[in-house]
Amino acid sequence: MTDYKVLNKDLHSDLRVITAREKRYGDNVMHAMTFPIEFRDIQSCYPIFFCKDTESGSFYPTALFGLEQNENLFLTDDGWDATYIPMSVRRHPFLIGFQADDQQPDGRRPVVSVDMDNPRVNTSDGESLFLADGTPSNYLTDIIGLLESIHAGHEHNKEFVQALVDNDLLEAFTLEVTLKDGSKNQLTGFYTIKEPKLYELDGNTLEALNKQGFLQAIFMAVASHARLRPLVEKKSAVAESS
Amino acid sequence: MMSNQSFNRIVIVGGGTAGWLTAGLLAAEHCAPSGKRSLPSMEIILIESPDISTIGVGEGTWPSMRSTLKKIGISETEFITACDASFKQGTLFQNWKNGFDDSYTHPFTVPRGYAETNLAMQWQPFRDKVSFAEAVSAQNRLMFENLAPKQISTPEYAFNVNYGYHLNAAKFAQLLTEHCTKKLGVTHLMANVVAVSSKDNGDIASLVTDAQGDVHGDLFIDCSGTRALLLGGHFDIPFCSKKQFLFNDSALASQVAYRHGSDPIASSTISCAQPHGWVWDIGLPSRRGVGHVYSSAHATDDQVADSLHSYIAATAGEEIAKSTSFRKVSFNPGHRAKFWHKNCVAIGMSAGFIEPLEASALVLVELSAAMIAEQFPTNRKVMDAVAKRFNDKFLYRWSKIIEFLKLHYVLSQRSDSDYWRDNVDTNTIPSGLTDLLELWRWQSPWHRDTTHVDEMFPSASYQYVLYGMGFVTQAHTTYRKSDTEFSRHAEALFSENAKQTQQLVSTMPSNRELIDKIHIHGLQSI
Repeated sequence: MTDYKVLNKDLHSDLRVITAREKRYGDNVMHAMTFPIEFRDIQSCYPIFFCKDTESGSFYPTALFGLEQNENLFLTDDGWDATYIPMSVRRHPFLIGFQADDQQPDGRRPVVSVDMDNPRVNTSDGESLFLADGTPSNYLTDIIGLLESIHAGHEHNKEFVQALVDNDLLEAFTLEVTLKDGSKNQLTGFYTIKEPKLYELDGNTLEALNKQGFLQAIFMAVASHARLRPLVEKKSAVAESS
Repeated sequence: MMSNQSFNRIVIVGGGTAGWLTAGLLAAEHCAPSGKRSLPSMEIILIESPDISTIGVGEGTWPSMRSTLKKIGISETEFITACDASFKQGTLFQNWKNGFDDSYTHPFTVPRGYAETNLAMQWQPFRDKVSFAEAVSAQNRLMFENLAPKQISTPEYAFNVNYGYHLNAAKFAQLLTEHCTKKLGVTHLMANVVAVSSKDNGDIASLVTDAQGDVHGDLFIDCSGTRALLLGGHFDIPFCSKKQFLFNDSALASQVAYRHGSDPIASSTISCAQPHGWVWDIGLPSRRGVGHVYSSAHATDDQVADSLHSYIAATAGEEIAKSTSFRKVSFNPGHRAKFWHKNCVAIGMSAGFIEPLEASALVLVELSAAMIAEQFPTNRKVMDAVAKRFNDKFLYRWSKIIEFLKLHYVLSQRSDSDYWRDNVDTNTIPSGLTDLLELWRWQSPWHRDTTHVDEMFPSASYQYVLYGMGFVTQAHTTYRKSDTEFSRHAEALFSENAKQTQQLVSTMPSNRELIDKIHIHGLQSI
């Protein structure tokens, strides 16, 4: 369970957060939400697909780390073995929320919350959140920037997937993976860019997608499929060694 | 217009659900914008009387409505939000068996493994421990618990378990009107038909209207409701009453408010037997549609109003019951002697109407329009052959509907009124049904009990009603290889079904929860 509390320098002055990447901290995730603003980095490490939010049924882009539930093939004994770790993974154990505030232009003020039940949160190990004088640490300053980017990314994602749906650019797919040892894995519940449709788009549509900043993201998602083979190889290696 | 000229104009009379569903299904198959076809398009004209309000038959559909809507090109999200629609997974019968708080379901999903295995006889030894529907279909429990047949992440028209809809018929006709005129190119004329002008061969040449002049056509579809303006009024095709089998000829209808906005929406049509008929209870997101069907020969309007009031008071509270008003509807149960005559075909209540048990009204419209769309005569010469085929098929369908509806009554052990006692009188039972009942005492219905590929009620429906009502089929007294095979599969099928039931009950949202989410987020098309 989670127990999010609004971060407060008086109440949380001695809090620390462990940033190591390990299974016991919940890093054994199969995939995690990603955003077009980080697609350039994501596509160099992970395949980008789309899946549905269980609450709303809406699509969101996601970076794939494994081929079955709770499997992260990038997680090793020495941490997360990749040059880039997605923003939505790095945000834990924090969350951005909003409080009503008449002073703000949009009537609300972003607030940072921390999950007190998260195993990363403690008072002895990891990064401090506040300096002795009560000002935020560099770590916390980075986290606040990250949370703001994620918030903007959420809004951008909504428009992005809407453009994909409106142009009929998504399709469901089932990936059948045969490992070196002959065992089979089936990946379902994911969606991908419908390439034939993409190549049929007329000039006006392409221009509109480009102006919205979606065209590059679409092609990066397509290019990211190249990361699927290394992922399957990782899986084969794991299967062989176990 | 000469009969060998191009055959390309369909005129539909009537602007109710039947007229617009027919227009939609025909236009979806026969019309397209000029840029998207290499051959001329059919022209479809619908004449609606500005003076006659539509009855709005049926607020319950079959699963077939999903493919109908898909074919017409309406998105499920649009349909659900525009028509105040909810999900229906079958019928939940209450008090039909003996009137002492008994209940059973007729779900839309066929029994598990039905294609290869007949589980009915395998279930019978356990009949006192578990109901038939519970043992063979995961849907049974979802129906009792008002759960949805799918999740928000399930694409439009796809499902976890099979489903149809409950809907607001007036809003549905409105949505279809918009869609047919704006997207499918159907011409909508507001006028009263005042006369019919004929050709030498007796065909209809044109309809004379008060506001739109003469409307010519090649095929005329009569969707004018029980008046049957063309088939009855003009051609005088006789009406065949079926009151000798199914006594109900009246109904009191009402709209019942929910007590709270969060009250559950039933995910089945509830049919609750009463001393003089039965009550339908259809849950829409914004209100319930509740009514009492009865036989005017067996009960007075006041007696029925009392029963209906009690039902509403028991399910919604005395306060809501007091403020609910009833509207009386009378009908003559039966159908025309034929439906397609010359160049005129009747669809909807103009073809016939029988009490709403098992909601056969809208599905007959869908089946009729789909058959005309598929078998549309290319010219006048072949029309008679198509008409004969159509008449044969739909006369058969009506006879099967009458048998299947009557089945519900003859299996009842109720004897609390003349209504129920008369219903089991052998003189009121169609001979075809009498024969089948005798047969089913010795063998359980299965695939061979239905003879047509597009049968209205599959043999599974007979199983659900028979065994739900407590009917007993005798076990075989000599060896059958199939019995041993079925019994070998049965254990696995029963346990798979129990497992699936458990899994669905724990993952499906409530009917209301899903409808609310669809109103906010919509369903994805993939």
